[in-house]
Amino acid sequence: MSTSTPQPALLPVATGRRAARVVAAHLRRSPGQSALTILLAVAAAGAGLIAPAVLGRLVDAVPDGGSVWPFVAALAGAAVLVAVLTGLSTLLISRLGETVLARLREAVVDRALHLPSATLDRVRGGDLLARVGDDVAEVAESVTTGLPQVIGAGLTVLLTVAGLGVLDGRLALAGIAVVPLYLLALRWYLPLSAPLYAAERVAMGERSQALVSSVQGVDTVRAYADEPRHRAVVTDRSARALELGLRVFRLYSDFGWRMNRAEYVGLAAVLGVGAWLVRDGAVTVGAVTTAALLFHRLFGPLGLLLFTFDDVQSAGASLVRLVGVADLPAADPPTRVPSPARPALELRGVSHRYEDGPLVLDDVDLVLAPGERVALVGASGAGKTTLAGVLAGSLTPTAGTVLVDGRGVDDLRALVGLVSQEVHVFAGTLAEDLRLARPGATDAEVAAALDAVGAHWVAALADGTGTVVGEGGHELTAPQAQQVALARLVLADPPVAVLDEATAEAGSAGARDLEEAATAATAGRTTLVVAHRLTQAARADRVVVLAAGRVVEQGTHAELVAAGGRYARLWAAWTARG
Amino acid sequence: MPTTARAVLRRALRRHPRRLGTAAVLLSLHQACEALVPVAIGLTIDRAVATGSLPALAACLGGTAVLFLVLSQAYRFGARAVVAAWYRESHQLRVELAGRVLDPHGLRGAPATGELLSIATSDAERTGRVLEAAAVLVAGTTALVVSAVSLLLVSVPLGIGVLVGTPMLVGALQLLAPLLTRRTAAQQADVARTAALATDLVQGVRVLRGIRAEDAATERYRRTSATALRSTLRAAGAVGAYRGATVLGSGLFLAAVAGVAGALALRGDLTVGELVTVVGLAQFLAEPVGLLGFAGQKVAEARASAARIAGVLALPAAHEAGQVPRPGPAELHLRDVRAGSLAGATLHVPPGELLGVVAPDPRDAESLVALLAGRLPANEGSVLLDGVDTRALAPGHVRRAVLVEPHAVVLFEGTVRAALDPAAERDDAAVLAALEAAAATDVVVPAGLGLPVGERGRSLSGGQRQRVGLARALLRDPAVLVLHDPTTAVDAVTEEAVAAGLVAVRHDRARLCRSTVLVTSSPALLGRCDRVVVLTGGRVTATGTHAELTGRADYAAAVLR
Repeated sequence: MSTSTPQPALLPVATGRRAARVVAAHLRRSPGQSALTILLAVAAAGAGLIAPAVLGRLVDAVPDGGSVWPFVAALAGAAVLVAVLTGLSTLLISRLGETVLARLREAVVDRALHLPSATLDRVRGGDLLARVGDDVAEVAESVTTGLPQVIGAGLTVLLTVAGLGVLDGRLALAGIAVVPLYLLALRWYLPLSAPLYAAERVAMGERSQALVSSVQGVDTVRAYADEPRHRAVVTDRSARALELGLRVFRLYSDFGWRMNRAEYVGLAAVLGVGAWLVRDGAVTVGAVTTAALLFHRLFGPLGLLLFTFDDVQSAGASLVRLVGVADLPAADPPTRVPSPARPALELRGVSHRYEDGPLVLDDVDLVLAPGERVALVGASGAGKTTLAGVLAGSLTPTAGTVLVDGRGVDDLRALVGLVSQEVHVFAGTLAEDLRLARPGATDAEVAAALDAVGAHWVAALADGTGTVVGEGGHELTAPQAQQVALARLVLADPPVAVLDEATAEAGSAGARDLEEAATAATAGRTTLVVAHRLTQAARADRVVVLAAGRVVEQGTHAELVAAGGRYARLWAAWTARG
Repeated sequence: MPTTARAVLRRALRRHPRRLGTAAVLLSLHQACEALVPVAIGLTIDRAVATGSLPALAACLGGTAVLFLVLSQAYRFGARAVVAAWYRESHQLRVELAGRVLDPHGLRGAPATGELLSIATSDAERTGRVLEAAAVLVAGTTALVVSAVSLLLVSVPLGIGVLVGTPMLVGALQLLAPLLTRRTAAQQADVARTAALATDLVQGVRVLRGIRAEDAATERYRRTSATALRSTLRAAGAVGAYRGATVLGSGLFLAAVAGVAGALALRGDLTVGELVTVVGLAQFLAEPVGLLGFAGQKVAEARASAARIAGVLALPAAHEAGQVPRPGPAELHLRDVRAGSLAGATLHVPPGELLGVVAPDPRDAESLVALLAGRLPANEGSVLLDGVDTRALAPGHVRRAVLVEPHAVVLFEGTVRAALDPAAERDDAAVLAALEAAAATDVVVPAGLGLPVGERGRSLSGGQRQRVGLARALLRDPAVLVLHDPTTAVDAVTEEAVAAGLVAVRHDRARLCRSTVLVTSSPALLGRCDRVVVLTGGRVTATGTHAELTGRADYAAAVLR
């Protein structure tokens, strides 16, 4: 982290065709259900045409008189039929869509959690979060609320045109005549709206960002008497989002005007052509009435289709982003190779640089004996975190190798547990958090792990290990969160442990407790500790001093202090006994 | 400032009279025209299609064209007006809320961050929407009146039947709605839980990888996702039933209306065109009735949101306005202060002193820092700045004189330069000098001061964040600087450099005017202090230099390691 970070990249995005193939493959997994869903959706839209047709017949029957009951019966029957078909097709479309969505989101999270470390480091953090968060939500939203309606509306439009064709081909032509007008409206609207919507979303994000950081950092804002500037930033960003919101709506209302124009042209064409056909005796007044009612009925579905077009578009954009992640190559199968209880580790000629940056590690040789506890000491930027990463197997060095008991291994990570200064408490109960490290752990094992790291505060929690912690739950202090991380290490029980500044975030009072916890958690493991506090170094079997990517001193604490070198000067300053 | 929900809503409606008035008139016109479209279709069929008269056809189509023109323009400008009023009101509320939260006088009893955020975003949005609801209420009523008159003109009994039947139908469907809401609420909660879990796991992905828990985490997500899918599928049944019921209700209503109107037409009491009009209006009427229901629902939501907004606007300030005294040397006195865990703490910080404070109990350190930052009021005793009780002083003045850099450093998004010097008042040389003094130059080498620090400084390591925070405080150069455990995330080598830099910048013997209070247990820092005090049990129990105090067992236990 203290080295220059390479330019962050974005995760891949699938092509539209690839996304369609993936969805189709999911649908083929349940062919019967898919076919039935399509059939019912078409039938529901088709049954919707019965009522206008009956009304047309009723109009034709008026001049001759007669009983109204057959018409009423037909209309009531049609109502029941449409209701049943619409209800069933809504249900089936949701079932199919939601099932596919669930499979897709599971695949995405699976891949996201198994990304190789190199990819994780390269990818912008926000991008991965957006994929599993916003993109899943975006697709889910349109599957849940939009999909049945959009499919229903699309089929209604298609079948209505067919219905007009059954009445008379010329009436259908009159209806179809508006299609170019709708297309023109859409072609005018989409290129203008897409960038505007994107800009609005960005502006809204920045507005929330300004609010979040000002509210979360309010103590700092007050400490620096910087309230006016923060208020100005919030006001500015809110005003910018407001302005874009208004522009989006203005465009939307202009689009609505174009749609109304098209509606009028279509209605007038159907009525005009109808009048002409009635005059020629080609169709009845009832047929024209049916056509006019059918067309009037289309305003709703057409509006829905056109106005949800950009929802569909943005759901599509999210879908290709999801498929892009789901399509990433699967990570290596998680092999728990049988491993020696306390292996020896050796770094041989290890050098590393990030991208084209300077050398961070420069030809490092280092041996950790079985069960040995080695402390790594050095200034910021000396390469400590990089060295820890290489030893933990999360970083492949530019040059050199890591040997376990004298042999190279395929998957170093299978042997090593890494606890870094990055703490994260998983949302859920404390026991659930800990069981991530060992899913089958009994209550007693969980309690023993917490006990081992001295997390006695757990007993004081309202529900003990059943207390909900993390985001939205009971907030743990930084040292407590670090103790939880160490308890996870105890449960995961790896033969090798790497602790990278695992005690850094604690205040001075908590640091000592954490040191005890770290020592307990790594007991019996071959251990590398990146030590901030020299007391940690003093307790280690051996101290390694790193400077500018090279090992400059190593030996026991006593030896190095006696040698009067760099470490001895550090120790003197650290203890500063007046 | 309005302090009740009603007052917030009333002010919202009064704040935009021109836009709201325009919207109500135009949207009413739009709804009236929509109601007339079926009438126009009926007329056209009666007068033109059935008769075959070309002039009548031209007249009808021309009339319909005018109707559509008025309808669409009324909507276009009416909707724009109402949306402008709504968005503007939301914006104004948001700015007021931010102003309240960021009031220099502080806020007593402010809600938690997450709650404040949702109040400033969704509640502001929903409260502003009361303007839309008001305009829609007027427009929906107008549409109902126009439809009613049209229907009654065609046939009085039919008109009454439709006017009574429509609200009953819509009402019946509204009764079904809570059933649906209950099912979908459970489903939404499950889906939200799935989304939250995914985000949480991805945020902790490095931690998971550190202990090889990726598979366990994936499995947990799979289970939660499956639960969410099950409840979604259950809800889908309810949604399907609801849509079916809606379609059935309106279909049967249409059959009834068409039956009665058809019977009248077959008897010759109604023309074909009138029949079409009645059927068309019966279909249309659901729209204004639905609009009224929609408006009612939005008003209820707006009221609940407005109550939350009023709750924040009505919060009392934490500090009085206070006076701004003449500039002094910034001499700080604590006299018998009881606040938090402090129980009669007395402390003097003369100008120019580098004072160390050792508090074996972290609560004493927290209380002292919160007191000096103005976050914690003194229950008893007083804090004096140049002899004046700080409660009588303007909070802005106190904070400019006494800067407390919190232990948890928060950096605001932007470049390193902007994080250090938000107001852009200092030149690059001064900024670099502050970074140098805080031993933080490694942060900007080789990227430079333009390096982005990311959201809340997350792109920096803990140690880097801590040193950048220190540099920011040094750059501000306050008369009194209070630092709380400023080097806990810093390695021993760098800590030494920080201590030296701090002394060089603030306690150069040539200028003896700056004082610094270090609340710490680090010997590297305490060794350089002019004087060290020990806080035990909420009061000062020992004073001396670091060297003198190391002889005391309790001090050594707290400090030496």
